[in-house]
Amino acid sequence: MYFQKKRCIAMLLAGGQGSRLKVLTENTAKPAVPFGGKYRIIDFPLSNCVNSGIDTVGILTQYQPLELNEYIGNGQPWGLNKTHSCAQVLPPYERHDKKSGWYKGTANAIYQNIDFIERFDPEYVVVLGGDHIYKMDYSAMVDYHVKNGASCTIAVRNVSLEEASRFGIMNTNPDNSVYEFEEKPAQPKSTKASMGIYVFNWSTLREFLIADEEDPNSSNDFGKNIIPNLLNAGHKLMAYEFDGYWMDVGTIQSLWEANMDVLGKEPVFDLRGTKNATIYARNNALPSSYIDKDANVVNCFIAEGSEVYGSVRHSIISIGCTVGENAVVEDSVVMPGVVIEPGAIVRHAILGENSRVGRNAVVGGAFKPKDKKKISVTSKGAVVEANTVLLPGDML
Amino acid sequence: MKVMGIIFANDGALDALTNNRTTASVPFGGRYRQVDFALSNLTAAGVRHIGIISRHHYQSLINHIGAGEEWGLELEEGGLEFLTPYAMSATDSYRGKLESLYSAMNFLTYGDEDEYVIMTGSTILCNIDMKDVLASHIASGKDITVVTKTGIANGEKKLDLALKLDKKGDVADIAVDYAASADYLASMDIFVLSKKWLANQVREHIARNLFHMDRDLVLGLWQKGEVSINVYQFPGVVLYNESVSEYFNNTLALIDSKTRRDVFGYNHPVFTRVRDRVPTYYGETSEVEDIVLADGCMIEGNVKNSVLFRNVTVCAGAQVEDCVVMNDAVIGEGAKLKYVILDKDVTVHPGAELYGAPNHPVIIKRGESV
Repeated sequence: MYFQKKRCIAMLLAGGQGSRLKVLTENTAKPAVPFGGKYRIIDFPLSNCVNSGIDTVGILTQYQPLELNEYIGNGQPWGLNKTHSCAQVLPPYERHDKKSGWYKGTANAIYQNIDFIERFDPEYVVVLGGDHIYKMDYSAMVDYHVKNGASCTIAVRNVSLEEASRFGIMNTNPDNSVYEFEEKPAQPKSTKASMGIYVFNWSTLREFLIADEEDPNSSNDFGKNIIPNLLNAGHKLMAYEFDGYWMDVGTIQSLWEANMDVLGKEPVFDLRGTKNATIYARNNALPSSYIDKDANVVNCFIAEGSEVYGSVRHSIISIGCTVGENAVVEDSVVMPGVVIEPGAIVRHAILGENSRVGRNAVVGGAFKPKDKKKISVTSKGAVVEANTVLLPGDML
Repeated sequence: MKVMGIIFANDGALDALTNNRTTASVPFGGRYRQVDFALSNLTAAGVRHIGIISRHHYQSLINHIGAGEEWGLELEEGGLEFLTPYAMSATDSYRGKLESLYSAMNFLTYGDEDEYVIMTGSTILCNIDMKDVLASHIASGKDITVVTKTGIANGEKKLDLALKLDKKGDVADIAVDYAASADYLASMDIFVLSKKWLANQVREHIARNLFHMDRDLVLGLWQKGEVSINVYQFPGVVLYNESVSEYFNNTLALIDSKTRRDVFGYNHPVFTRVRDRVPTYYGETSEVEDIVLADGCMIEGNVKNSVLFRNVTVCAGAQVEDCVVMNDAVIGEGAKLKYVILDKDVTVHPGAELYGAPNHPVIIKRGESV
């Protein structure tokens, strides 16, 4: 079989559970969690790849992959299904030499798919996470990597000094070359936090992945092992500063916040496609949305296939939802297929896919900045019975 | 059962809306084009070989349908074929459906002889189970099945093809281009026939300079007693978009939930070309009631009883009532629109006012600014 040589391909780590998203990822991998009305988290790195001219993407899956696999399919929504492009789902598999099994860590996941990468004989491999909301041109980062003659380039963003001890921090020289990497330092020396986006020279990465696999004490992780090993071996590592919007949606709070960030006339994070920055998503054949004469919709996103009869303010109503008569939705993220029955009140909540809020039920309470973490959450398919209450911060 | 589909793309005219496009590619219902209904009806019934016959202005249609991937028609075997015209002996283009079928004879006679053909237009929209229509045709043993709708004939609307049944359910009368009374059934421009019979009839008719499907093949043969007709009566909602005012009223009829649900998913979803747009955003100053709208809009003004297509911007203070607004329109601050159809890419400048009448909506042509 003929494989076209690629200068650069991407490997997307989509196998994590996302346990901090709690009930939202009980039956779904984190990258498949819905976002922004019609998207899923994985649409962002996948669309970024396409918009950056990367047409070959390996997607490493492990945790609850059914929905994610269905969603990715043959890569058609992102235009990755052409003769010389692919979105290839790469689950763990069995090998004759027993060097296989579940992906032990991020580096091991790439190690187990060296054969996939070799088919394209790439110079550069971009390694990405599947749990961040952002728009980024990876090709600019690759150019920066090449210009600086680095073996590895790591995207970083400036965080506050207080926050810095929660991240992997790159300590850099004035030219942005990295002299030290510290995972969650108690006393941070720098505020350049790793975004979990790496560009590697493939030949170097390959060598280090194989060596890392031989080390029985390694946890086979990029941050903990590969990056420190590269530094110790004297390789040039560069920090690539990114100052655009970026949100790790690994927690209920940050997922809610990122969703709210897309709202507004001039939103904190603009989903609207400027040139070469469209976010693509698999599309459902749903009709246009309907807003009834008694509905009241203010500062909200309402996606296709939804019908609104009640009142919606500062919220996301995703595809295929119904908001019944006299129902109220405020400061909430309503995921696809949710039904909010007449008279129900939903405030400061995330309603999981296909969940249902019964007549006159109450979910959550009014948003108060001091209680901003008290978000009520329903899991996929959950039912809040009629006339019952789901308290602020509770999960169902 | 092997079935092929034939869709006629230029089977009517909608004034300025079809100046530069086929009736099949006229936008409809916020995110669709009219042809999406025929394509979805056929593919939902498992039809995987479809020819689209177009006469002129088919660029927008080809852009919309592409290789047919949205309908699952990008196939190795069968799939989608555009049957565009080439010069006929006596005329510069087809004069009727039979003549266009004659020039598509290679398509029509491709494959097995025992196949069936479902023919459909693209101005009469519905969500119909074609498997049921085909089963009815086969069970009847008749030469041709005509799909019809009751309640359309009213003594005023001129029907392309009207049929009256006797008490036994047999055809008692057929009329063409006729303002039939309410006891007639209106053809929905959907026919089922065997491929072999159709190909033979097309050759026989063209050889005698007869080219009109309804007049020559249906009415003509029936009068001579040379055709047996099965009449299928469709119970669902049918939208006859045969004039601008019908198109306008049928579009606004989608605001009614029952009509909308029937047309967009009673039997199966309606597929269309995907455009990646963000969900519609309603701003702080938006006031909307009774509207149907697609993705990508930015609504800050007042919109009432209207259907909006993708990427429409309604600025603060604008008033849009009883309107059909196609893709990418920008309606400026304080503009007032009532009974207006804005074709694609129209800009309405701040403060501009446009008023049509309920039975005579104003059409603003594609790309114009007001």
